[in-house]
Amino acid sequence: MNLPIASENSPPGNGENRPAVILEGVSVRYRAPQERIPSLKEYAIRWLKRQIRYESFWALREISLEVQPGEVLGIIGPNGAGKSTLLKTIARVLTPTSGRVYVRGQVSPLLELGAGFDPELTGRENVYLNGTLLGYSRETIAQYFDEIVEFSGLRDFIDAPVRLYSTGMYARLGFSVATFKRPEILIVDEILGVGDNDFQTRSYERILGFQAQGTTILLVSHSLSRVEEVCSRAIWIDQGKMVASGTASSVVNQYLEQIRRQESRRLGGEMAREPVWRWGNHRLEITRVRFTAGDGSERSMFHTGEALNIHLDYIAHQKIPSPVFGVGIHRQDGVHVTGPNTGAAGLELPDLEGSGSLTFSIKNLPLLEGLYRVSVAAHNQSDTEMYDYHDRAYPFRVDNSGTNLKEKYGLMTVQGEWSFQTTHRVSVPQQANRG
Amino acid sequence: MNSELEIEYDSAKVQSPAVQELRELWRYRDLLQLLISTSIKSRYKRSSLGIVWTLLNPLLNTIVLSIVFSFFFSRFEIRNYPIYILSGLLMWNFFSQTTLHSMNKLIWGSGLIKRIYVPRTIFAVSVVGNGLVNLLLGFIPLLIIMLVLGQPFSLALFSLPLAILLLAMFTLGMALFLSTIAVYFVDMVDMFGILLSIWFYATPIIYPESMLPDRFQFLLRLNPVYYLLETFRAPIASGTWPAPDQLLLAATISVFTLAVGWLTFTRKSNEFAYRI
Repeated sequence: MNLPIASENSPPGNGENRPAVILEGVSVRYRAPQERIPSLKEYAIRWLKRQIRYESFWALREISLEVQPGEVLGIIGPNGAGKSTLLKTIARVLTPTSGRVYVRGQVSPLLELGAGFDPELTGRENVYLNGTLLGYSRETIAQYFDEIVEFSGLRDFIDAPVRLYSTGMYARLGFSVATFKRPEILIVDEILGVGDNDFQTRSYERILGFQAQGTTILLVSHSLSRVEEVCSRAIWIDQGKMVASGTASSVVNQYLEQIRRQESRRLGGEMAREPVWRWGNHRLEITRVRFTAGDGSERSMFHTGEALNIHLDYIAHQKIPSPVFGVGIHRQDGVHVTGPNTGAAGLELPDLEGSGSLTFSIKNLPLLEGLYRVSVAAHNQSDTEMYDYHDRAYPFRVDNSGTNLKEKYGLMTVQGEWSFQTTHRVSVPQQANRG
Repeated sequence: MNSELEIEYDSAKVQSPAVQELRELWRYRDLLQLLISTSIKSRYKRSSLGIVWTLLNPLLNTIVLSIVFSFFFSRFEIRNYPIYILSGLLMWNFFSQTTLHSMNKLIWGSGLIKRIYVPRTIFAVSVVGNGLVNLLLGFIPLLIIMLVLGQPFSLALFSLPLAILLLAMFTLGMALFLSTIAVYFVDMVDMFGILLSIWFYATPIIYPESMLPDRFQFLLRLNPVYYLLETFRAPIASGTWPAPDQLLLAATISVFTLAVGWLTFTRKSNEFAYRI
């Protein structure tokens, strides 16, 4: 991990290559009384009794970073990691408790679209109100007014009070005002799910356009693929601290790796517990269920197309005449994907007594990304006597991130192939490539 | 506009928050103007009679008060008592409504303060601006009563702009100071509301100064509003220039209050986003 840390007292020289944003050891502490003391009287009493205890919480600790003009920096991390706090220190909403924030250029925060709209005022009045709230002069807004309204697509409603607007309209107008001029620094919290598809495309294009013209963009998003796609660099913060910083793909991969480890641990822990939904007369018991990959390693995380082996250990407490073992795979939402058993497969087991194990092998796991749960069962030939049944007790996850598997719709892949022929040739006018 | 683009923010280099705030307020002057005009507009939009109420209300109020007080206290030796009351009320309403309203406005603005940067004094300043507009409108009914009662217009009225300026400074200072406290203790708003009604009766607004018993006269000397009131009312009600010593005191009080309010508020305002 190497962080570009600004040298001491390095204010921004005079060259054009100075960073647009510098954070030096920025920490933010929220300090609040342990219980809210709403009244002055209460406060005075407790102050006299020295009963006011403060609880402090560090939302950010010693964050240092530099963002060059025109860079697109992604900020990733779990909820409550301090991502929004970080953006707020850059947007001047929060003053850091210690450290230094330096920002050069007009900042446009797309934090809360339409923050400061007055519901009683018309769309037109709110364009001016919101524009001046963002620090633009009235003159500038007037100059761009038509473009703002045009972009929002709300020309017919611009003189209606915004309390009559739908949430989508509200956000559309908010976005249009916040981005009518190219800001030097754009702060985006979550890629906007604003309005209809058409508007989303246009707003996304507008942001990309700003980027092309040299706007510095700070983007917080939960969509890791979006971060990888759009950002040149990324930082990962967790519990207020910077965990990693570097190219977007390397940081995203490190982050994913961590999530995977956590998930494995969690699923592993769940496996170890006694299954909750278990019934049967236990004349034969399934004592252990494990998942292994092709190389024999025990796992609970697989890629589509990998080998997945389900191992069942059993113990028969008395002689069981040729029992049938089965497994069932369910998707998290309950869809029963498949339910193979030894009987249907034509594997006639001998009479069993004592312990042993069975393996059900899937050579090419066809399931797509998702969380799945496995049931296991052992019953007699005619399925009239259940020895042991563990209902959806064993979870595993299919996760294709980090692979080049792109298929993602539906439940499974059928490994089909596409082919293409032309029947006749139509001359198509040359068109610019659209991304 | 280049002035909009050449912006630098350095959290470590903020020299004096009080000066910085002044500069930011200037940069956001268009927002200030808009906040004032929208709140005036929305106030008059709501009622059908609109602006007429603002004129009618004090007029009726004055008439009622004049009748009641002349009836009970016929020994009042004030000439044109209605003018005395109305000018006093005009001044007091500006002070009390503006201070109360700006505390609420800051709490109202807390949603904004937590989301985007705006100079935090803008809320109190806009409320004072709003109050000034209402004050000026309030001069219309006063003018009508003066004409009806044949009150002479003296040259001393030219001292009014100064009196209003001092009043506005004092009020803004109080508003900022109280708002700072209200951020931490919401019940400040209620407490101050009660204080205001006591303060109202402790100030000779609807009764003559002479009515106060001698042993309570010292209260007047301790009351900062009293000096501002006298400066404001003298040219209207008695047609005299404000006494120099009173003017000087009023000016000192106003400048001092504004300085204390501004400094307190701007020193604390960076914490507001964490607190409200």
